[in-house]
Amino acid sequence: MPVWELLSVELLTAFLGLGLLVLGLLVPKGQKRGLGYLAALGLVGIAALAFALREAQGVVWEGYIIDPFGTYFKLLFLFAAILTCVSSFEYIGRLGNGEGEYYALIILSTLGMMILASAGELITLYLGLELMTISFCILATYRRGDMKSAEAGIKYIILGALSSAILLYGLSLLYGSTGSTLIKDISLVVNSGGVTPLMVVGMIFLLGGFAFKMAAVPFHMWAPDVYEGAPTPVTAFLSVASKAAAFAAFLRVFFVALGDSHPLWAEVIVALTILSVVVGNLVAIPQKNIKRLLAYSSISQAGYLLLGIVAFSTLGVGAILYHSMLYVFANMGAFMVATVFYNADKSDEIQDYAGLARRSPLLAAVMLFSLLSLAGIPPLAGFVSKFYLFMAVIDQGYIWLAILAVLMSMVSVYYYLQVVKVMYLGDPPPGRPAIEVPLGVQIALACSLAVLFLFGIYPTPLTNYAFSSAAAFFH
Amino acid sequence: MAWAALAVNWLLRPKRPQVGDQRETYECGLKTQGPTWVQFRIGYFLYALIFLLFDVETIFLYPWAVKFQVLGLFAFIEMLIFIGILILGLWYAWKEGGLEWL
Amino acid sequence: MIRYAWLVPLFPALAFPVIAFITRRLRTLSALVGIGAIAASFVLSLGILWETLTSGVTMEKPVEYALSWLALPGAKDWVLKIEAGVLVDPLSAVMLLVVTLVALLVEIYSVGYMHGDPGFSVFFGYLSLFSASMLGLVLANNFFMMFFFWELVGLCSYLLIGFYFHKPEAARASLKAFVVNRVADFGFMLGFFYLFLMFKTFNFRELAEALPHAPHMGLLAVAATLIFAGPIGKSAQFPLHVWLPDAMEGPTPVSALIHAATMVAAGVYLLARAFVLFASIPEVSLLVAYVGGFTALFAATIALTQRDIKRILAYSTMSQLGYMIMAMGVGSMTAGMFHLTTHAIFKALLFLGAGSVIHALHEQDIFRMGGLAKDMKVTTATFVLGALALAGIPPLAGFWSKDEILLAAYSNGYTGLYILGTVVAFLTSFYMFRLIFVAFFGRRRAGLHGHESPKCMTVPLIILATLTVVAGFIGAPFVPHGFSSWVYFGEPHHLEPNYFVMVTSTLVAILGIYLAWLIYGKEVISAEALAQRWRSIHTVLYNKYYIDEAYLWFFRRVVLGLAEAFHWHDRHVVDGIFDGVGDTVRWSGYRLRYLHSGSLPVYALVFFAAVVVFVLWVATPVIGGIR
Repeated sequence: MPVWELLSVELLTAFLGLGLLVLGLLVPKGQKRGLGYLAALGLVGIAALAFALREAQGVVWEGYIIDPFGTYFKLLFLFAAILTCVSSFEYIGRLGNGEGEYYALIILSTLGMMILASAGELITLYLGLELMTISFCILATYRRGDMKSAEAGIKYIILGALSSAILLYGLSLLYGSTGSTLIKDISLVVNSGGVTPLMVVGMIFLLGGFAFKMAAVPFHMWAPDVYEGAPTPVTAFLSVASKAAAFAAFLRVFFVALGDSHPLWAEVIVALTILSVVVGNLVAIPQKNIKRLLAYSSISQAGYLLLGIVAFSTLGVGAILYHSMLYVFANMGAFMVATVFYNADKSDEIQDYAGLARRSPLLAAVMLFSLLSLAGIPPLAGFVSKFYLFMAVIDQGYIWLAILAVLMSMVSVYYYLQVVKVMYLGDPPPGRPAIEVPLGVQIALACSLAVLFLFGIYPTPLTNYAFSSAAAFFH
Repeated sequence: MAWAALAVNWLLRPKRPQVGDQRETYECGLKTQGPTWVQFRIGYFLYALIFLLFDVETIFLYPWAVKFQVLGLFAFIEMLIFIGILILGLWYAWKEGGLEWL
Repeated sequence: MIRYAWLVPLFPALAFPVIAFITRRLRTLSALVGIGAIAASFVLSLGILWETLTSGVTMEKPVEYALSWLALPGAKDWVLKIEAGVLVDPLSAVMLLVVTLVALLVEIYSVGYMHGDPGFSVFFGYLSLFSASMLGLVLANNFFMMFFFWELVGLCSYLLIGFYFHKPEAARASLKAFVVNRVADFGFMLGFFYLFLMFKTFNFRELAEALPHAPHMGLLAVAATLIFAGPIGKSAQFPLHVWLPDAMEGPTPVSALIHAATMVAAGVYLLARAFVLFASIPEVSLLVAYVGGFTALFAATIALTQRDIKRILAYSTMSQLGYMIMAMGVGSMTAGMFHLTTHAIFKALLFLGAGSVIHALHEQDIFRMGGLAKDMKVTTATFVLGALALAGIPPLAGFWSKDEILLAAYSNGYTGLYILGTVVAFLTSFYMFRLIFVAFFGRRRAGLHGHESPKCMTVPLIILATLTVVAGFIGAPFVPHGFSSWVYFGEPHHLEPNYFVMVTSTLVAILGIYLAWLIYGKEVISAEALAQRWRSIHTVLYNKYYIDEAYLWFFRRVVLGLAEAFHWHDRHVVDGIFDGVGDTVRWSGYRLRYLHSGSLPVYALVFFAAVVVFVLWVATPVIGGIR
């Protein structure tokens, strides 16, 4: 397959992003809504292309790997980006500034994630990471004039820079001790020569950098503040796509390049898993703000995804792929509801959701099923994916870890149902009208809901795709 | 060990008071005028960013220009794309008023 | 046709949401959707059976296809593999036809019977859901899927028994059915999970292949016995039979479809599906045979004294199910399945006939009826035909199938069970004709006058009556390539007609009818005098051996007593612990929140500290050379 065809997904994404930037300059102010539609349509087209090329395999210039594993993640990023764009039309339109750049930035950060998922070389990986991070820094501050948004942006920039610095330091140490930035060469060195102390330091630095992007405890501190302050669609995108991208890169580096040193870092991952699952779920309980609640829930989800890394097997990787894909739809569903609700009521407080079921049955239902899926209640897809993750660790003998994760899932049901209780049993404040949901968002919500039910009742198609991608990853 | 090293260092080092430029943040170069802890206009940052853009561009262009004959057509097209993206950025900055001193 | 077998349950499965969400207000359309769906399934089933019998699909060479529903690759083997698949062999093909046929006729009948009921549309929705789950159960190719549908038919049964939920008896009966079945289903579930642990598969065929290499016969026997708990509950065998008579609180078409013809036969079907398992353990087979035989006798004796027309039929159903299970136990799957087929037809006929009577009189006590033969000619004629078939009078369907069971018991050396079966045949014909002479002939005891039911109710009766006459011949011993060459286990064996068995059972049946005529028809012998004479036995029988009372006592005293104790324990000990745990969790949540001060330097510090700790943790052993 020629190079341009292998790279077609990335090239088109870059072209779309830059094109939107140019169009944003040309289109007069006040008529920029069309840019959003164009972005969403373009992303749908690229997703279709990526799906058609899902079996493609090849290496471009040694350092860029196209394989089913990477393409699976690219599809995931594209789905997340599409849902983000659709839920942004209204929200960003009302901000009244930078509508053109917004979609370009979303798409460029998607491009960064794609590079991250396909990078077979450390510098390329860093480039993708920075493209993603810088785009997110701008996106987080998009509510100009809002103190919380500015705070979110500053925190993300400073802590992101810190984590990038540490990651970069780790990369350089790795390069210093192995003499190559190519993942396959590093794996050869680790395989033959063993591990030096310098390499261990680099490895942990790298792990810290990735764990920051995953928002795994104790590298999660930025997440709740940034999630709360950033515009809601951006939060949604940040919580699903950047997390998944970090997992993709982590799997590539640690399973392929550092796979032979697995016993060294395995314990650290177990610690991260326990901390994320426990802290994420416990701290979510007292939250009053829906976005903070979802932030802590997303921290705990990082913990569940880490279970797949703990398993260190094809089953584990497949389970990560499956869970992260469904996590996109469940979390995006919940955040889309939060966005629409904010557009109507200008509030993110959970208590204001009282009686939502009567004001908009669709919104309440999507929120309900998204939260239940996050909690892992059958017959929703979240149940199947968590089941896979637990089976993966049990298969490797970590039964106690699975039990802990199940117990913490039960805790999560408690705080998810708190929201449901308010929505369904609370009385709507007097004089509040029914909430109107724009058609595009309605379609997006219905799609998320359909995905959650479809893959909960009949998981096989996605299971097969995820597990075959995982198998190709290990070949 | 660390404390011991520090202690030995402290004992052995020559004890002379610092004079003149030794007490400055930068020992060479111009003397700083006034306090350094002042606020800059945001416009400086925009200028700095755009300066950085062209700085980096030059760094890339120079070696390419030196080895132009060896690298050939492929590198030429690549460089055109690179410059194109940078020009796009400049255009964007210009259009959004980044080059105007307010 | 066989390739499209998965469509058979799908039609009614689609009809259910359509009725529930779209046509709920439009009553006629709801009925049409329900009937149309099941009619399509019926036609398809007919085609499937035809293709099965003509294209060489046999018990050894079934057609199986499956989607993998949940498959997890493990390190070496599958960690877990559950299929959603279809298994078509003559056994399931016959069963499909039986279910769709009875369901179709019952749905048509219901148009008349349920006319004017406020829950008309809902009723058809439930019937469609039931048909879909029952057909799914029949087609299932593995235990997991079968159990899924098994639970679903249980749910439908619960919903339909409690259809008149405003009546307290109906509500109580539905609850009873549900609870009793839960007990049985739990055993079933444990049983097949046990099998899964032993053989790593749920699939029937893979299990059959793996069975000879079973690691431990004792454990296998435990699993088989646990699985047998399922049929005991679903097919209302002693001691979990108590729910079936009470289930008669549901609408009569439901009793005909679910509690006579199809769902209660699911237990027998399960035994047939897992026959290889039971056949490989003689001890469990013997248990099955004796549970079936005992229930047959036990239920028949109770039926002798009952006064409610539907309850008599319910006990008769229990007794006949006992026959089928006994047939499975003595090793003749053919006889059991044959009796299941014929019984489904004539018992549906009897129930629908009883429904026609109830529809006309709004009365269920047979001693308040009488002389109905003059008012309801079609109902009477078809009912008598059904009763003759049930009594086992040649050449009706019941004769051939019952005969085969008796023959199987006789020729496989279970003489005791054979004699027991013959006695039950006598009792059956007696209590059925007691019902007929009292309700349909004789004087009008309470002055109630009936009227013939509408066409949509009598036509299904006539169709079923015709089938009652014809259906027996597919399995009659002199018919070549009949039922015994379709459905069998091991080798297809063609039993020679045994005239001794045939003649005895016929004579016994005629004797029963004659005795019933003497007592209730001509009233030569006074029924009251007999009841007075055998007062104690009569009371015991009339009160169904006091089993309900015994269970009630057991539940009131023992279970509720224990429950009280546990409740106290729960309230004071367990709740204390769990409230404590809950409070601790919430408390720690509130405490941990303060980690988030919102201060950037703290965040950076935590980040750095974590990196340093991890580096020390991992690097120390490497530097120290431990690893």
